[in-house]
Amino acid sequence: MRRAATYLGVLVVAAYCLAPLAWQLVTSVRTPAELTTLPPLLPTRITIEHYAAVFTGHPFPRMLLNSFVVAGGATAIALAFGAAAAFALTKMRARGFGAILALVLATSMFPPISIVSPLYLLINALGLRDTLAALILTYAGFTLPLAIWVLTSFLRELPDELYSAARVDGCTPRQALVRVILPLAAPGLVATGLLVFIFAWNEFLFALTFTATERSRTVPVGIALFPGLHEVPWGEIAAASLLVTVPVFVLVLRFQRRIVEGLTAGAVKG
Amino acid sequence: MRNAIEALSRGLAVLVAVLGVAGCGDAPPAERSDERTIVFKHFRLFGDPAPFAALLREFEARHPGIRVRAETLPAASDEQHQFYVINLRGGSRDFDVLALDVIWVAEFARAGWIADVTGLLPDNEALFAASLEAVTYEGRHYAVPWFVDAGLLYYRKDLLELHGFSAPRTWSELAEAARTIAAREPGVHGFVWQGRQYEGLVCNALEMIWSAGGEVLDGERVVLESPETLRALEFLQSLVAQGVSPAIVTTATEEPSRHVFGSGRAVFLRNWPYAWTLFERPDSPIRGKVGVAPLPHFEGHESASALGGWNLGINARSRHPDEAAAFVRFMTSPDAQRTLSLAYGYNPSLRALYADPELLAAQPHLTALRDALDAARSRPVTPRYAQLSQVLQSEFSAVVTGLKRPAGALADAQREIERIMAEP
Amino acid sequence: MRRVLERLGERPAAFLAPAAIVLGVVTFFPIVYVLWLSLARYSLLGDEPSFVGLDNFVRLASDARFWNALGNTLYFTLVSVVLEIAIGLAFALLLARPFVGRAAMRAVVLLPWAIPTVVAARMWEWMYNGDFGVINYLLGTGINWLGDPVWAMHAAIAMDVWKETPFVALLLLAGRLSISPDLYQAARLDGAGPWRAFRHITWPLLRPLLLIVLIFRTIGAFRVFDAIYVLTGGGPANTTETLSIYAYKVLFQALELGYGSAIAVAVFVLVATITAAYVRLLKEAAR
Repeated sequence: MRRAATYLGVLVVAAYCLAPLAWQLVTSVRTPAELTTLPPLLPTRITIEHYAAVFTGHPFPRMLLNSFVVAGGATAIALAFGAAAAFALTKMRARGFGAILALVLATSMFPPISIVSPLYLLINALGLRDTLAALILTYAGFTLPLAIWVLTSFLRELPDELYSAARVDGCTPRQALVRVILPLAAPGLVATGLLVFIFAWNEFLFALTFTATERSRTVPVGIALFPGLHEVPWGEIAAASLLVTVPVFVLVLRFQRRIVEGLTAGAVKG
Repeated sequence: MRNAIEALSRGLAVLVAVLGVAGCGDAPPAERSDERTIVFKHFRLFGDPAPFAALLREFEARHPGIRVRAETLPAASDEQHQFYVINLRGGSRDFDVLALDVIWVAEFARAGWIADVTGLLPDNEALFAASLEAVTYEGRHYAVPWFVDAGLLYYRKDLLELHGFSAPRTWSELAEAARTIAAREPGVHGFVWQGRQYEGLVCNALEMIWSAGGEVLDGERVVLESPETLRALEFLQSLVAQGVSPAIVTTATEEPSRHVFGSGRAVFLRNWPYAWTLFERPDSPIRGKVGVAPLPHFEGHESASALGGWNLGINARSRHPDEAAAFVRFMTSPDAQRTLSLAYGYNPSLRALYADPELLAAQPHLTALRDALDAARSRPVTPRYAQLSQVLQSEFSAVVTGLKRPAGALADAQREIERIMAEP
Repeated sequence: MRRVLERLGERPAAFLAPAAIVLGVVTFFPIVYVLWLSLARYSLLGDEPSFVGLDNFVRLASDARFWNALGNTLYFTLVSVVLEIAIGLAFALLLARPFVGRAAMRAVVLLPWAIPTVVAARMWEWMYNGDFGVINYLLGTGINWLGDPVWAMHAAIAMDVWKETPFVALLLLAGRLSISPDLYQAARLDGAGPWRAFRHITWPLLRPLLLIVLIFRTIGAFRVFDAIYVLTGGGPANTTETLSIYAYKVLFQALELGYGSAIAVAVFVLVATITAAYVRLLKEAAR
């Protein structure tokens, strides 16, 4: 009985998450003539011309690469710096715990569009226009608050004895962090990492403002370049948005195991 | 896990190194001392990129020593505008020539972002009056008209004929025909247009207001609130309220409304000229059944279309103003405009090209379009137009959705716009 | 020398420094700039900026459009956050259970979040179309979702909830999985049913994470921009215009940097107040 309820629930979750994407899939293989006719729900003829158009009409592989580099870089920085900061706050008894967390959070309370202009001035002054580094830096800055807060929460649950024991064994704080603490905080690290990665993967406003050419163009800006003044190629946009989701799906699939693996590294709570 | 973390940190180091190399390796080749590069920032041109690229190469061939690099922006007008505001305000010198929406010229001129290009325009008679008006600010010209657009009425010739109507000249004729035919034809709406809260709504509403004898500004004076305007707005509100138009117009922009008409589900459509080619495509269900006419008007007044389109301007801080000027002159020349029109369907800004045999053969509706362009009106040419538009969009949307009575919306709009125009 | 550096490198400050530097560069400077602008009168169409103290805020207080945007934002935030947390928590608890295909499902649940916002908004705009949208088709209705003053806001909420629930689900799932199964084992041996296990084990241990999720989703919902802007542009008749959209229009259409920044500061003050209230409320509940 309980199993049946579980599987029913899983079905609901799957439908909830996949239905719009399934609709995108259907749209991406519709012929142009059928794009806006509704009965029929499923197209009578299937075409892959939209997928072909995505690659022939745009430097799509380059944009995917850029997005990967930007998202990967931002994730690495957010996790590394965020974990270090969370560690200092929870285990090393850095002073000003509450104040620092509040300050960090406060930086994320301003609407992004109000800071895009000053940030542009700064990026320009640093000579980082039209570079991937500008986006990596920006996204790391925006996601550090989340990383710090989540990792602080996870690290706080770990018993302090773990750290003191490691110090007694002769580890420096950094060694203790890397060898003892972080492995136990794996679920938090992976979860945060995935969220940061995906945030950076999808960000549009700053990507549009700081990039000018294919050199640094990321996927969301690329897709915004599909429509013309009046023409909106729905089929192409649907195809591109699915293509863009696949790498992320694969990434998540690969890493979500880590969320579970953290358990086997030892008892955490209780 | 420890290995994973150490691997990750090694990976991070590698990433940074790669970035550094990638960043360097991809820098554009340093400019040779005898070569100047100008950057042309424009919206995405939909279609085969080859004709456009060929045009740029032709310019480079005619002007040895100048290289042109074209950079695309998303076509959405708001996104382009936002990009320019951030960059130009930040003193960017990264681009030299930019494509401007007709409604931005006075704004950018006032802000000091675009250069005076009075010497680059062709003779005034060569351009459409409204087009010239849109690029003029305080007696000088700040952009060169490149493409133009005007609102048109599309109608189903076959349906009108079938039910005994002719192409409507007045708005009441249109409403009558729309209502009657929609009632008799199942699944067909009457009149579709763009009623979402955005710039397009201002175009639609102003076309009605102008054709009733109303106007927004008279010089610096706000003359919006008038019996003529009220008449137009009351008609606007009645369209959805009385079923002449389907409710979906309140969220429709150009493409959704074009789709409705293009799949045979409407009798009348107000839209820009671009739709014509799409309706005449081989796989279009209404191929051969579409007529084009100037927009209707109210009794005793004349038809009016809103002017749309794009102009070319020069960045006031460009490092190569002379080269940029040469480029602008080239791109707005008759040959270049003809090429672009044939390849991408954009309508040229030079009046003479509307009698060009090659263009007419490809786009027979150009004659009707020229008449509409001659009668086109420019939206208020003032640096504060964007602000005005925000007010008009809100109030017109309230009228269209029935949230406000036209008289009330009009009074509110008048007051707000007076306040805006009174700012120093 | 090297010894000294090594020693310094092991102090708490050294661990905090990298994050502090990045945050300082990316967020500190722009925020200070915004705060300064909010106290100034600065139009890009006018002359030089001038300091006007709190004038912009006084103007805000009597700006009907600001209050409209504030009301819309509060409504949007309240409804969407409640829905996201409820649905997200349900998903998290479900996905923590053992079943075939669990790994794939955990990846599936992240998909809505994984799509670029502007793409998702266009997707939903397409589905909401009154004429050929699939939602009307499946429901058999003819509702003008995005063009109706009443429905538009709820259509936007539905889309945002769909998009943001994975964020909640993922974090709560990670939290749920860090709870030792021994606790649940012990509870089962004691004869406790699933509801009591939830009340006495899951809920208390998840609460800190729930607070974080609540705070971040509230901040996110308060700042919402892309999703609504693509769907409705703030219309019809400003019924979906949130504070971020209003700020955008003031900053980029009216080119009034001072007033627009004041709106941004207002958002900050509101969100900070709400967050502080959360923290206090939950601290008291814990006691």
